[in-house]
Amino acid sequence: MNKDPIREYELLSTRRQLFGRAALGVGTAALATVLGSQLLADQLPQEKTADGLHHPATAKRVIYLFMSGGPSQHDLWDYKPKLRGMSGQQLPPHVRDGQRITGMTSNQKNGLPVCPSKYKFTQYDNHDRGVYVSELLPHTATVVKDLCVVHSTFTEAINHDPAITYIQTGSQIPGRPSLGAWLSYGLGSMNENLPSYVVMHAKTDFAEQSLFNRLWGTGFMPSQHQGMLMQSQGDPVLYLSNPQGVSRVDRREQLDTLAALNQEQHRRFADPEILARIKQHEMAYRMQASVPELMDLSTEDEQTFELYGEEARQPGTFAACCLNARRLAERGVRNIQIFHRGWDAHGNLPKEHESQCKDVDQGCAALIKDLKRRGMLEDTLVVWGGEFGRTVYCQGNLTDTNYGRDHHPRCFTVWMAGGGVKPGITYGQTDDFGYNIADVNGNPLTPQPGKEIWTPGTMHIHDLNATILHLLGIDHTRLTFRYQGRDFRLTDVHGHVIHDLIA
Amino acid sequence: MAAWRHVLSTKKVILKFVDIGNLYLSCLFFLSTPKSAINKIMRILCGLVLVLLGLSGTGLAQEAEPVSFSRQILPILSNKCFVCHGPDAHDDSLVRLDSFAGATSDLGGYRAIDTANPETSQILLRIHSDDDPMPPEEATKKLTNAERQLLTRWIRAGGNYTVHWAFVAPERKSLETNADKTEVLDSLIERQLKQKGIDFAPLADRETLARRVALVLTGLPPEPELLSSFLNDERPDAYSRLVDQLLESPRFGEHQARYWLDAVRYGDTHGLHLDNRRGIYPYRDWVVKAYNDNLPLDDFITWQLAGDLLPNPTLQQQVATGFVRLNPSTAEGGAIPAEFQAKNNFDRVETFGTVFLGMSLTCARCHTHKYDPIQQTEYYRLLAFFNSTAEPAMDGNSYTYGTVVKAPEDQAAWSEWDSIELAQEKLIADASARLDEADLSEEQLKQWTNGSINDRLAMLADSKGPFGKFDDQVYAKVIQNSTVKAEQEFTTTLVARDLPEPRPTHLLKRGEYDLPAGDPLEPGIIEVMGSFPDDAPKNRLGLARWLTSRKHPLTSRVMVNQIWQRVFGHGLVRTPEDFGVQGQQPTHPELLDWLAVELQEGGWNLKQMMRMMVTSRTFCQSSAWRDGVDDPENKLFARGPSYRLDAEVLRDLGLWASQLLDPTMGGEGVKPYQPPGMWLAMAHPGSNTKNYVRDEGQRLYRRSLYVYWKRTSPHPMMTLFDAPSREASCVRRSPTNTSLQSLALMNETQRIEMARMFAERLIRDANDDSARLDLMFRLLACRNPSKPERDTCNHLLNAMRQRFDGDIPAAEKLLGYGDAPRNKKLNAAEHAAWTQVAATVLASDVAILIY
Repeated sequence: MNKDPIREYELLSTRRQLFGRAALGVGTAALATVLGSQLLADQLPQEKTADGLHHPATAKRVIYLFMSGGPSQHDLWDYKPKLRGMSGQQLPPHVRDGQRITGMTSNQKNGLPVCPSKYKFTQYDNHDRGVYVSELLPHTATVVKDLCVVHSTFTEAINHDPAITYIQTGSQIPGRPSLGAWLSYGLGSMNENLPSYVVMHAKTDFAEQSLFNRLWGTGFMPSQHQGMLMQSQGDPVLYLSNPQGVSRVDRREQLDTLAALNQEQHRRFADPEILARIKQHEMAYRMQASVPELMDLSTEDEQTFELYGEEARQPGTFAACCLNARRLAERGVRNIQIFHRGWDAHGNLPKEHESQCKDVDQGCAALIKDLKRRGMLEDTLVVWGGEFGRTVYCQGNLTDTNYGRDHHPRCFTVWMAGGGVKPGITYGQTDDFGYNIADVNGNPLTPQPGKEIWTPGTMHIHDLNATILHLLGIDHTRLTFRYQGRDFRLTDVHGHVIHDLIA
Repeated sequence: MAAWRHVLSTKKVILKFVDIGNLYLSCLFFLSTPKSAINKIMRILCGLVLVLLGLSGTGLAQEAEPVSFSRQILPILSNKCFVCHGPDAHDDSLVRLDSFAGATSDLGGYRAIDTANPETSQILLRIHSDDDPMPPEEATKKLTNAERQLLTRWIRAGGNYTVHWAFVAPERKSLETNADKTEVLDSLIERQLKQKGIDFAPLADRETLARRVALVLTGLPPEPELLSSFLNDERPDAYSRLVDQLLESPRFGEHQARYWLDAVRYGDTHGLHLDNRRGIYPYRDWVVKAYNDNLPLDDFITWQLAGDLLPNPTLQQQVATGFVRLNPSTAEGGAIPAEFQAKNNFDRVETFGTVFLGMSLTCARCHTHKYDPIQQTEYYRLLAFFNSTAEPAMDGNSYTYGTVVKAPEDQAAWSEWDSIELAQEKLIADASARLDEADLSEEQLKQWTNGSINDRLAMLADSKGPFGKFDDQVYAKVIQNSTVKAEQEFTTTLVARDLPEPRPTHLLKRGEYDLPAGDPLEPGIIEVMGSFPDDAPKNRLGLARWLTSRKHPLTSRVMVNQIWQRVFGHGLVRTPEDFGVQGQQPTHPELLDWLAVELQEGGWNLKQMMRMMVTSRTFCQSSAWRDGVDDPENKLFARGPSYRLDAEVLRDLGLWASQLLDPTMGGEGVKPYQPPGMWLAMAHPGSNTKNYVRDEGQRLYRRSLYVYWKRTSPHPMMTLFDAPSREASCVRRSPTNTSLQSLALMNETQRIEMARMFAERLIRDANDDSARLDLMFRLLACRNPSKPERDTCNHLLNAMRQRFDGDIPAAEKLLGYGDAPRNKKLNAAEHAAWTQVAATVLASDVAILIY
């Protein structure tokens, strides 16, 4: 039988990749398109679905709206009417129950004064017990029937760098692959002309906390799985444009010569990677056409701009990023993440959060509506949330109109929509102080993170990640990458799929 | 001198090289004098055996071989069984399979392994059972049939246990010690080739080999003069001479340092939160210097771990301890110091494990290791060596975080400082020898004895002082002044120092900083890796002595594997980060051990080791893939190395070809072109690395080793081509092949600038198209272009000429990239056309691969 060298080479890479995992099964969707599923059949002895997944996926793609800095659940989602008259009173010690708090408020002169939200909350009907939304999110309030709102998300990290690294990579210490890298590794790409994982940074007036390459990086995985940063200034994709003076025709000439040189190199050395590289050069050439087409919003109709708002016409705004996310999703990009900074409101929370909410509110709602009207919401998972929540007690001076809040890991609100999650439900609750996750009677629950047992009604960040993977057809315990003798997982040895959230 | 090496020294290109004698050599290696009649007969017999083995297929060969516990069984047990039946088994009622005693223990009338009656061994019954199989139905990892067969054969043969190979100190086996070392290396590779019925590949042609060896040793192609003197050198040791010259090039240290800096996660910023600037580049420069000076690797290790604890440490020894300070650090508001004291140390212990032991110790942070015999207590004992360094847990976002020393600013300053130190030493030694001639009061004598070097210099330079009668005060004054002047220009660098009283170290339950358990732990090592030297101090210096002791099973193997990987592209152990039970077995175990012992007994001599490797037959083979050799990953080393060049080399090569490369060595990290806003888009507003202000002038053209390394956002031309972030240790980059790399190769500003300047050089230094193409290929490929290469380049050249002749403004735009001044006397269309050709060839596999 004549062997096609590129095919052989890709098969080899596939084997390498698969042999790197103890748990076989996933990760083959993209490779199957290149190799033909037949070739892979004998590589994958374990049960799997026809498209190589662990189980049928309800989501084909994910759009993750990351609110970096930690939005205040107290002022947006987690309504606590009993706090109204308690402004300035000290947080009862039994509520805190010895929990460690950050160095910023642990020795504060005014102690830990309770700080009710100054914002008005309205209860909206959903398909469950209803959900309260604050006046800061009027647009999001119109789509709550599509949202699955989880009040009982929690983490252990209490500072930004560890917390955001934790939720994005499953470890507080740098060095592990990001959620997006895991998805790229597991699922591959649906569009050869665009990367499988795209990251955008949305504009904010309060760029207070830093982001790090590691949040969309690959850690010990090969770098092809890293998120591609799509920028609103200059080239949207790094080095996309030809230098000035070089036309597309010129580039074609160059690439033809490049291919001829590489073919000659291949004739001499027969290394199949050389042929694989010729293909990558061609893909780059196609990307030079597909990305500008993607970024060109002139084909969008007026109705769309009404939905997303006029801001969507300005590159780099959150609304524009949301619109781009929808366009990327349409073109087969599996994994899109928008980072919006500025939620770290230690002081002047009202001013900052009002501005932040104005940045994101309409875009979030528009994205849901837009995906829905195009029939894409059912297989697109949208996730909204930050790395932790904010405290019920005030940081700094507390007045009726101004206050700040410190980091709070024990509970915060995250919502999901589409992609197979139950629409219009409200999941989990917190105690009267919004300090601890509580049972339905309001009694504090103390879920022990990292234990084998999952406490119903709670969602650790590992559980969130396990659930995201599940919706995409991946068993989080079986998507592994061997490094230093250990089969690493996104969820480490933790994580539970929360079936209560799944339709 | 082996005959094949002579081939390299003649200008004739010999395509095929067959050494029939060698065919039998592997079989008869243990015979030192293969001349006797008996030996002849045995050679023939052995040859016959080989042929028979070849004919009878691999099955027979395997059946005849005893099962190796260490190489075949332990990996299965570790991967499939230890999770429940291993060192960290949580259920005491389950049988332990990580020791012979455990496996053969009486479980109430039956045993996992029954040596008296193997067929009733529970392992045997259960792995073949359909009703009650092991691993159980629900296990994620099941046995393959091949694994079942191996386990069966092992148990039938007695079920013996031995220690994992990597925990037994390397020994040389049955090899002549007086043989040519490179030949021993080759013979150990050749043995496996023979088993597959093949020979070494033909030698690479001399041009290719010159390029390959120069890139491997120095990270740059050979300079044209060096290349031509090699190609014209007909003496038998021409290649050896080329290697010597490359090893002596200062570029050697720069290139080798890159690998080490990945491993130790060197960066110019703190790495966490604000990711502010950190002053530690003298450490990077020291690494370069140590490699160029060929500092023995045992000293290289010792100085980095514990230079500060050596008696009267030199400045170099202190700067080297920057290694201990390379962990990422934070000063995030609200962070708890105790938490980061623990995290900083985790990072150090785990990096130490990866770099020197080739092992992940991370598992043992929270619990006893699942696979390797490493106790959680041992992890914290090891951590205790690092827990007493004097710097605070939080970095204060400071450039001079914790303990620092002042050190020379760059490599030129280091050289100057070296000569000043030499002069100081000589001056002081001379004076010390003549103390009885000096007029020293008791007080002055004390001052002399206890004083610093500067104090003594001052005494020597003082014409009215106790040494006044000596006649070299003027010279002493000169040295004193040079010392002061040099020190004034010193910069600071982070170093390790221990607190006067050690911090107590506790085992931390589940690795939680706030869950200390038990009594404070003494510093200690991992028992399975050999004992701590009796007379060594229980500090970092003792730790270094343990690592570098002859008996240590890992350090020399891990080091030699890293070196092999630099030379051949892959290690002998393909998982250089994991020599543990779960790691890959060495492809050539005997060679690995032989080299490890050679490294130790040869004085830990890096250059000697690399010389041996690059002059081997194994290295000098053609790298073309071979028909009939089914070894895509080149695990047999049946062809020469080939791989895409690393990010740094790709850039350096272009700068070199275009004569832009600035040879200045060392100093603060440089900032070449970078798309605007990349740092600002992510940085904390309080960070002092939020604005990327690119350099100007020569600093744009320094070697990539010196590119500023911001750990949360390294230069995109590094990360796009697989460089790690340096937040965590990396001893092996994963090569990828992506379309984003294609865009970067063709469109990045500096690459266009290189192409433009390369074009200028070609037009200037050669007279016509043909000569220019020759020059371009000689620089990038060390040879002239082939006809197809020449044709396609000419085609592109003419197309571009036509295009730019008709559009001069386009040519002008293309020629406007980069700061390097453009020679405007050149015809713009011609210059632009050549720029396009140069850019294309620079991006082609002719340039970007080692082959």
